[in-house]
Amino acid sequence: MPDKILKKDKLDAFLQGLIGRGYRIVAPRRVKEFTVLGEVASAAEMDLTEVNTRNSIKDAFFPRTEEVLRYDVEQGTVTLRPIEIAAPKTLIFGARPCDAASLAAMDAVFGWDDRDEFYFRKRDAATIVTIACEKADDACFCASVGGSPSGAQGSDALLTPLTGGGWKFEALTDKGRRLLDEAAGAMEEGEGKAAPLAEVPKRFDLDVVKSWLDGSFENDFWKGQTLACVGCGACAFVCPNCHCFDLQDEGGYRGGARRRNWDSCSFALFTAHASGHNPRPTQDARWRQRVMHKFKYYRDRFHCASCVGCGRCIRVCPVDMNICRTIERIAVHNHEKP
Amino acid sequence: MIEQLRSKAKELLETKAVAVVIGYGEGSVPGATRPVFIVRPEDVGKLIWNARCANNLTRYLTRKEVLRLGKPAVVVKGCDAKAAVALAQESQVPRENVILLGVVCPGLERPAGDQCRQCEVNTPPGCDFVFGEKIENQPDPAQAFLDVAEIEKLAPEERRRFWAEEFERCIRCYACRNVCPLCYCERCVADMNQPQWIETSAHERGNFAWNIVRALHLAGRCIGCGACERACPMGIPLMRLNRKLAKVVLEKFGYRSGSDPKARPAMASFKPEDPNDIFR
Repeated sequence: MPDKILKKDKLDAFLQGLIGRGYRIVAPRRVKEFTVLGEVASAAEMDLTEVNTRNSIKDAFFPRTEEVLRYDVEQGTVTLRPIEIAAPKTLIFGARPCDAASLAAMDAVFGWDDRDEFYFRKRDAATIVTIACEKADDACFCASVGGSPSGAQGSDALLTPLTGGGWKFEALTDKGRRLLDEAAGAMEEGEGKAAPLAEVPKRFDLDVVKSWLDGSFENDFWKGQTLACVGCGACAFVCPNCHCFDLQDEGGYRGGARRRNWDSCSFALFTAHASGHNPRPTQDARWRQRVMHKFKYYRDRFHCASCVGCGRCIRVCPVDMNICRTIERIAVHNHEKP
Repeated sequence: MIEQLRSKAKELLETKAVAVVIGYGEGSVPGATRPVFIVRPEDVGKLIWNARCANNLTRYLTRKEVLRLGKPAVVVKGCDAKAAVALAQESQVPRENVILLGVVCPGLERPAGDQCRQCEVNTPPGCDFVFGEKIENQPDPAQAFLDVAEIEKLAPEERRRFWAEEFERCIRCYACRNVCPLCYCERCVADMNQPQWIETSAHERGNFAWNIVRALHLAGRCIGCGACERACPMGIPLMRLNRKLAKVVLEKFGYRSGSDPKARPAMASFKPEDPNDIFR
């Protein structure tokens, strides 16, 4: 059966057709020397040239700040007002296989004990079209955590770049097939030759890492790993899998809103108790938490790591902490200290 | 030059003059550099110096995990050395508690905005030792704040729009704060919630509040190392904001942070002849 091909010069027609059918388009757009996943209205506004976007796909389902309820206060009585959750029909175009793969771990935690409607309504309203990676950089390590530059997991459709330009369009789910129908006019049939994809070396074995982590909470390895870490939230906030949040009420005497805002376990006050006690009082303890959570606790509970090797944390860290290097030290060099 | 730096570091560690040498080392990906903490004399070979050594390592002089190791020596460029001056003036790091290993810097490969072009401290002043062939540079004061002038010539509504567009990307990761050597408060005003002085939400109001308050808290204190702008994962031109306030302090009080260890910081002292027209 011939492939469905989307040519580059048909990309705008593809998008406009879908916009006409009520889709909002989210795709990589240029901002200074990087790209971000954000709303675009045409192919001209898109920039697909970077290895990956600075921010991750999680912004579409778990934004950095979000109202979760409103309240009014009248003579001592508090009235709660639920939020109308905005979940417009969205096409996410140009996500990477790592971002698509990250959704499994996010779906698991947001649906764990209570279905988080703020997350799932947006999730259900989104169709994800992923583009396989022709290039990777030194920060990428998807291959070490079960992913690959052509991984299809989590995508509704996978685009494979062709040597002549354009992409082979593979619909993988009902949503992907619906896109094919809705955008039939912009597609053609043919045989395309796939362009060579990026090669990402495998740097460690997840099982070896996990088995060491299982017994090493008190190990001296964690001491002195993080002298450089300044405890900001850059890594957690660009990570597609980090999902901790803080609830904040904003308002006055008469009413206000409760918001859910991103939080990071690297912040010094993340686990500070009202008593003054902090069970993670040092950056070493907080780095250990980060590694344990992503590569052990998450696997224990949800049977997948909460890291897809996208490398964003490595690219943005102002002091080059590099979690991949910590894991390599554990797995490959048998936990040598820096 | 690097051999001299390494040999001095080794000597300081061997004689136990210091417990740790904070310097630059090879980063984890080709071309990157990272802060390194050398505690054993045999490890001084890890110290490097090149035009990508951008971090301001004086940040670590107030990190308790580092202080616990003992007396530090720290590798500083001219801009970084100014932070050491400010930290001493603010009684955070007495000068005698640190050894400053100055490195002559011709300018970073990737400066934050204009900073390196206008540098007058290529040869770091006030250090215990200086490594590298001295560079004398006298920048033209008329060129000093061109990046700030670009925004000053905008009408107020245009300025607001400029910053609203930049702050729209702020995710409140506080990388700017956490890499800043002068943001050493153990409990930042943004982390206080009784009351919540600064809204933590990353919406326009919260982001304006955070970024402007941080700039105000650094007025007359920021030494212009650019660490904040380089650390920002979302490309916000923070130095323009900080340098605007540095320009105001220079014009109104004749004060430049970090240049004179004996001076009293403008924002922490009062003279009867201080101008009153900054209050409007």
